[in-house]
Amino acid sequence: MPAASALKVLVVDDQMTMRALVRSSLQQMGVSDIADAADGELGLQSLLTRQVNLVISDFNMPKLDGLGLLRAIRSHAPIAKTAFIMLTGRADKDLVVRAAQFGVNNYISKPFTVAGLREKIEEVFGALT
Amino acid sequence: MDPMESIKATFFQECDELLGDMEQSLLALEAGEGDSDTINAVFRAVHSVKGGAGAFGFEKLVGFAHVFETTLDAMRSGTLDVTPDGLKVLLRASDVLNDLVQNAKGQGAVDESRVATLKEELEAMVGGGEADDAPEEDWGFKPITLEIGAAAPTSEWTLRFKLTAKMFANGHEAHLLLNELARLGPNEVCLDASELPDFETIDPEGAYFSWTVKLPAETAEADIRDVFDFVGDESIISLAREGGELEAPAPPASAEIIDVQALIRQAKAATPDASELKLAAEGAKEAATGNKDSGVERAAQAGATIRVDLDRVDNLINLVGELVINQAMLAQSVEDSGITRSPNVVNRLQEFEHLTREIQDCVMAIRAQPVKSVFQRMPRLVREIAASTGKQVRLVTDGEATEVDKTVIERISDPITHMLRNAVDHGLESTEERIAAGKPAEGVVRLAAFHRSGRIVIEVSDDGKGINRKRVKEIAVNKGLIAPEVDLSDDEVDNLIFLPGFSTATVVSNISGRGVGMDVVKRSIQALGGRIAISSIPGKGSTFTMSLPLTLAVLDGMVVMGGDQTFVAPLTAIVETLKPKQGDIRNLGPKGAVIAVRGGYVPLIDVGVALGWRTHAIDPTQGVILLVESEIGGRAALLVDAIQGQRQVVIKSLEANYQKVDAVAAATILGDGRVALILDIDEIIASKLRDVQPARMLEAS
Repeated sequence: MPAASALKVLVVDDQMTMRALVRSSLQQMGVSDIADAADGELGLQSLLTRQVNLVISDFNMPKLDGLGLLRAIRSHAPIAKTAFIMLTGRADKDLVVRAAQFGVNNYISKPFTVAGLREKIEEVFGALT
Repeated sequence: MDPMESIKATFFQECDELLGDMEQSLLALEAGEGDSDTINAVFRAVHSVKGGAGAFGFEKLVGFAHVFETTLDAMRSGTLDVTPDGLKVLLRASDVLNDLVQNAKGQGAVDESRVATLKEELEAMVGGGEADDAPEEDWGFKPITLEIGAAAPTSEWTLRFKLTAKMFANGHEAHLLLNELARLGPNEVCLDASELPDFETIDPEGAYFSWTVKLPAETAEADIRDVFDFVGDESIISLAREGGELEAPAPPASAEIIDVQALIRQAKAATPDASELKLAAEGAKEAATGNKDSGVERAAQAGATIRVDLDRVDNLINLVGELVINQAMLAQSVEDSGITRSPNVVNRLQEFEHLTREIQDCVMAIRAQPVKSVFQRMPRLVREIAASTGKQVRLVTDGEATEVDKTVIERISDPITHMLRNAVDHGLESTEERIAAGKPAEGVVRLAAFHRSGRIVIEVSDDGKGINRKRVKEIAVNKGLIAPEVDLSDDEVDNLIFLPGFSTATVVSNISGRGVGMDVVKRSIQALGGRIAISSIPGKGSTFTMSLPLTLAVLDGMVVMGGDQTFVAPLTAIVETLKPKQGDIRNLGPKGAVIAVRGGYVPLIDVGVALGWRTHAIDPTQGVILLVESEIGGRAALLVDAIQGQRQVVIKSLEANYQKVDAVAAATILGDGRVALILDIDEIIASKLRDVQPARMLEAS
């Protein structure tokens, strides 16, 4: 049973509001190690320089989108095992299917609740303490 | 603040930025610029607004954004063509989206019927509702669980070791060590031979190999280290358990530089995707045209800006204002004490003054903002006026990045609005007239901003019919503003439109929208310490040029004495200064006097009397005249006792600290620590002229 405080999370979204919302939700769960990035490229750069075990990323971003980021992570051995949860809009089935093809761990639709996000994280890591 | 409230504030701020950028993108597309990325940027903006709005439960906003997004999605995926008509719908949709955002913010009402109409138009473009709306449960997605910390309380050991040539020389053998390690439990050995040089350069006695050994988790660390007892601990490069309870991949050693772009390319090559074919083609195009903004640049941008509370900046500006005053006071004290003869003191003092000025400039630059925030509201305005006047208008903006102090930004919006209204309403001809004159049906209004000699210049020009000078003169004569027989130059005729009373509409109104008087525009620009000029070519169009100070926090002023008091007159209002001769003065009864200046007469105003410091005016020949200009009532001659000098002063609001005082615009603190009032030239002249027939005075001037 992993402790929420042991999670190191990277939030990738081009929208500041969304980054703030995810960050605030994570903080309410007891996660304190949270970094963020404004697009896939910056996210990837961040992943290469710090320890992260969960990436929560938006899909549609400039430069490098969420799928691109996911694929880059999965194909680079040192970070390939990082858990990845994709943030999607409602009714984005096509995207979820493609993300699954590239090994996404889970997805969450916007708008989400704190409980909803926690559930999605727990589906990946097991119950958080 | 409640965290959600502060995020909501961020959301609205971000919405304004997104909507502004979105409009720019749409306009770029309309002008035939932009590419597939531009429409994608518009999609992303709407998508982001929708996402945030959903989180805060703004259902109406979400509903509209969703329909908007669906249409844009069809456009960016290529199933729907981007047509000029389609873009017009998108532009109107962006206006509605803006209204809905403002409404969610608690500002402004929303025209429900307009929302519904546009929703229908947007839906009609993509041909009805969406197809792919299957419930999430049917997507067949299964989360991938990470198996961590389930099997053992701790994870396995990873040992890396390497033997040096010296160790081999001492008789140590790698295979012996590996055998020892094998005895500790089932293991996995990996040889790293990457350091092995070419055959030609190899040193037969050298040592080039290192080994990575994975050992069972239950092995004791001491047992592993024991194996290397005789070899020496220095042969162990690293010994660590793989991760903790949660496995966090170790970031690479700092020396290792990883090219993010290469990584992305590699990922794409390794895991191809159907949608890549299209992207690859676009990528090639982008490469051919040169990658506009590289990732590095973007990273630099992201790291190079911070958001700071405006209060803090304002506080800093206030303090620097105090510093400037303090520096002036110190300089004065030093001079009074008579030690300025020491060159050291003088030099240091000058250095101090330069530094203070520099700090002030830097601090003002922090609060400087591009005029973009004002300019980007204008396309919508022009669209609406065009629609209501039935004219075809294209607005071209230029110099949006020109920066000016926030205090000015907040107040230039109205004058620009009025000038644009006038340009479309009065400047441009109707479509029929244009075609008859052999011009393109679509009129062009240009809004530009640039810096010129320490001021910001904003130009509004149109390619309309220009000023009808004959008609302007007729109106001016009919309204008694000028005498019928006066012979005026073209320039003077053009400037008649700024006279009060020239236009019938004298009230600033956003509702009427049909051309507020240019005198109102001129007055509001002058209130900002600015000036406005017009140039017009018949049949070709008119250009209105306004120049404004870059800040309202400091002011260039003339320090003058009047009635034992020190005043500051804004330099922009002063035309010239002169010593009057007795023969130039004409008394007009007991109340006033006029002075002859360059063949005309201007009213003489004793500043001391006007502000109530003394009851009787001084002898004009003993004082100095400041010839000031204020287009509200033409010119006036301000009589003061003496001029002290020209100085940049820090403006301190009287209204904020005390209350509004007639004829006084603000206050400042001088070098000697005394408070000096800054004269409101317009008001002084206006109050004086209330007694006198304005039309006659103008005529005289």
